[in-house]
Amino acid sequence: MTGSNLILTLTMAAPGGSGTGFDVGRMMAIIIAAIFVNNYVLSRFLGICPFLGVSKQLDSAVGMGAAVIFVMTLATLGSWTVYNLLLVPMGLTYLRTIAFILIIASLVQLVEMILQKFSPVLYQALGIFLPLITTNCAILGVAVLNIDEKYSLGYSLVNAVAAGIGFTLALVLMAGLRQRLELADVPPALRGKPIAFLVAGIMSIAFLGFAGLGG
Amino acid sequence: MSLAKDLTNGIFRENPIFKLALGMCPFLAVTTSVENALGMGAAATFVLICSNFLVSLLRNLIPSKVRIPCYIVIIATFVTLVDMVMNAYLPELHRSLGIFIPLIVVNCIILGRAEGFANRHPVLNSVADAVGMGIGFTLAMVILATFRELLGSGTWLNMNVLGRNYANQPLLIAILAPGAFILLGFILGVFNILEKRRGGAK
Amino acid sequence: MGEIFRLGLVLMLVAVVAAVALGIVNGKTAPIIALQKEQEKQDAMRLVAMGLVEADSMRFDSLVVEGMQNPYASVDEELRVVKVSVPPDTSVAGYIFIAYGKGYSSTIQTMVAVDPEGTVAGTKILYQQETPGLGANVTDPSKLTAAFIGRSADEILLRKDGGDIDAMTGCTITSRAVTVSVRKGLQAMAEAGLFRGTGDTDSGEVREGGVE
Repeated sequence: MTGSNLILTLTMAAPGGSGTGFDVGRMMAIIIAAIFVNNYVLSRFLGICPFLGVSKQLDSAVGMGAAVIFVMTLATLGSWTVYNLLLVPMGLTYLRTIAFILIIASLVQLVEMILQKFSPVLYQALGIFLPLITTNCAILGVAVLNIDEKYSLGYSLVNAVAAGIGFTLALVLMAGLRQRLELADVPPALRGKPIAFLVAGIMSIAFLGFAGLGG
Repeated sequence: MSLAKDLTNGIFRENPIFKLALGMCPFLAVTTSVENALGMGAAATFVLICSNFLVSLLRNLIPSKVRIPCYIVIIATFVTLVDMVMNAYLPELHRSLGIFIPLIVVNCIILGRAEGFANRHPVLNSVADAVGMGIGFTLAMVILATFRELLGSGTWLNMNVLGRNYANQPLLIAILAPGAFILLGFILGVFNILEKRRGGAK
Repeated sequence: MGEIFRLGLVLMLVAVVAAVALGIVNGKTAPIIALQKEQEKQDAMRLVAMGLVEADSMRFDSLVVEGMQNPYASVDEELRVVKVSVPPDTSVAGYIFIAYGKGYSSTIQTMVAVDPEGTVAGTKILYQQETPGLGANVTDPSKLTAAFIGRSADEILLRKDGGDIDAMTGCTITSRAVTVSVRKGLQAMAEAGLFRGTGDTDSGEVREGGVE
């Protein structure tokens, strides 16, 4: 317990945060907002492509979700550090977009190579999703939002993990529903993508119900 | 002749939204009003044209092993350019498009066209393709935005169309997140029917 | 090895060209953006200050108020107060501050003009990214903020929270964010003794001299 608290205090005290320290209430608010209230897929419209593309089967949805959580957290760590320790002191904040996308792209490559070499099992599970992740706008979206919201490193990481969980939640729910839809009698014109969007819309209505939680 | 074909390709036959289902994120997010749709369309089209032009121009100079990182840098550069210029001269629009301006970088349409078209075709064709794709993307956004803005706030391009009474009690859901998904689902359905008709007539 | 070197060189060349090009454009646009931000701020201050004084020229000085609590620490912002005066006269015509409140999907910034007694004289929403058609309507003063005019901190409270201001339909979170942030700002200023003691807060301590 004390060990993890120490890590939290250390990361919260990193430069960028304005010394407000660590606040459990705020952390919970960030988590609930990222998973439910402002779900990255269903309310912020980030990561729609994989949401539609990889949600046909439950297994692959879970795999994709895990890969996204993993890369999102690393990407946030990388982008936050580069932005606050490199770009800001050098007055180069306008290079933010370029820097972030390069960090994400090279990170994905790196993770892919490392996994391939050291953990073939994990690579088997996540490998095919990794190349898809570079163009997942949820990753870049989280990196940019963390900067826009002026989160400290600790809050940024919390936000990244929660956003990844929110993404996975939406993806897994969608996959479950689509497996059911296979058996349903859908009007011919709506088969395929149209019905997927209608289902996503209804899920999004359900998520609207979370408004007010942790506000 | 084939130039005209490249141009119209993106508008109808391979419309990025209705046919290829690329670039969905900004498409769903910024279609709350026609004004935003036009702004995002213009920004994305500009980036698309510039990146297709440059990628096609440099297609024989960039080693194929590092082409993707090079494309990403090229695209990100133009996106940042748009971001700065829009912030300086159109601050209102910049504010309402918000985070979706930097996110043009990961708009799959742009990287998709650079990789799928521009690196194999001459400059002029690549620009024509970019213009067509840009128009197709913008057109699709304006269609969805028209429905969302009309139903959700009773206006079109900020002009009151459906009258005061409607504007006071509009169908709010159209402008909220679920409205985007549901309306797009129905539009795609209609698109499917139209296409089947056309296919049947042939 | 030679190939890796060549590839690295190409990549670096592309990146350098991109960075230089952006640097040049940034040099051109950054001053325009800064100027326009400043202009916007000046315009907004002039607008909200209209409720305080009717004058063609107004002077805005930022104040350093010692010992003032910062009510916006939770959103990483600070309470900054600007003194409004009409030029030849240096006496306080009122104050302007920006309130920051966490709304539904953004931190809403509200600029507020207060008269020296602590009564709100004008407001303007500077920034919000709330839901279009719902929370975003907060920019229309008649929906919420018009009700703040003529009130002091204690009276700025939603009906749901025990006051008598009506929240916007369907957007309690946005309404509460704006209301509470404005109220907190006013309270902090009152506690710092910025207002003439007209009994609107429990701190009756008047320290007009300590203002500047």
